[in-house]
Amino acid sequence: MTKRTMTLNLTDAEMRVLDDLSNRKDLTKTAVLRQALRLYQTIEARVEKGDKLLFENEATKEKAELMLL
Amino acid sequence: MAEASLLYLVDAATGEGVEGELRDAIEDAQIVDWQTKWQPALIAVLQELDRRGVPVAQWPQSWHWDWRKKTAAVQGLLAFRGFSVVAAGVTQGLAQVDLTKSAREASQAGKPLVYVDYLEVAPWNRPDLGQPVRLRGVGTALLSAAVALSEEEGFKGRIGLHSLPQADRFYRDRCGMTDLGPDATYQGLRYFEITPDQARAFLKDEE
Repeated sequence: MTKRTMTLNLTDAEMRVLDDLSNRKDLTKTAVLRQALRLYQTIEARVEKGDKLLFENEATKEKAELMLL
Repeated sequence: MAEASLLYLVDAATGEGVEGELRDAIEDAQIVDWQTKWQPALIAVLQELDRRGVPVAQWPQSWHWDWRKKTAAVQGLLAFRGFSVVAAGVTQGLAQVDLTKSAREASQAGKPLVYVDYLEVAPWNRPDLGQPVRLRGVGTALLSAAVALSEEEGFKGRIGLHSLPQADRFYRDRCGMTDLGPDATYQGLRYFEITPDQARAFLKDEE
């Protein structure tokens, strides 16, 4: 699959988050961003269909809806 | 346009190699094959099982899968990819994978993997349907494609899947996957994973 290159400008804080995710997920920074794009697109598609994004705490069973604007 | 790579399957009757191709997509031609070739073959098998009085619970568990709907539901989404194996001009196997899931196996927990949502081989290649198998190696070719995709995406070869009971032994014994037991949140189906070490061993075996 052909891939294109782009320059990404991030703040120090954003770069730290990217570094942290890269370490925790055992992924390159590029792979983290590609994964983020997949997740973002999937969530958008589900929300557009009328679905809600909910988080549930396994221990307390407490549910919280993530509001996407 | 899908990219295709050469692969070799085995003619079960003669033991000879059969050239085929692994395609990195499920396209209209595959859906047409599923509808016009797989479905009639599967219906014939189900009619025979019904005639012999085999309970529905023992029928092939994927008999109701609708590949047209499955592929349409994820059309255009980056998180989902499809693979197909084509040989002798006919689709021999199909798989659809999800790239948004994380590993559960203790040493890999939380790290991304390629989750095999659906994997099915053509009815005439299934050893569990009580009829002679035509081509061997279709399922492992599709699983190899999932492992290779996992490596390409930087997931180190990790894959995961829920197995239908008829395929448990295949994933555990033939593919060397770790059996993490029945998943109460997924119809009680057993959940299997391949770790990076197992992925390397699996791909080496398949070379």
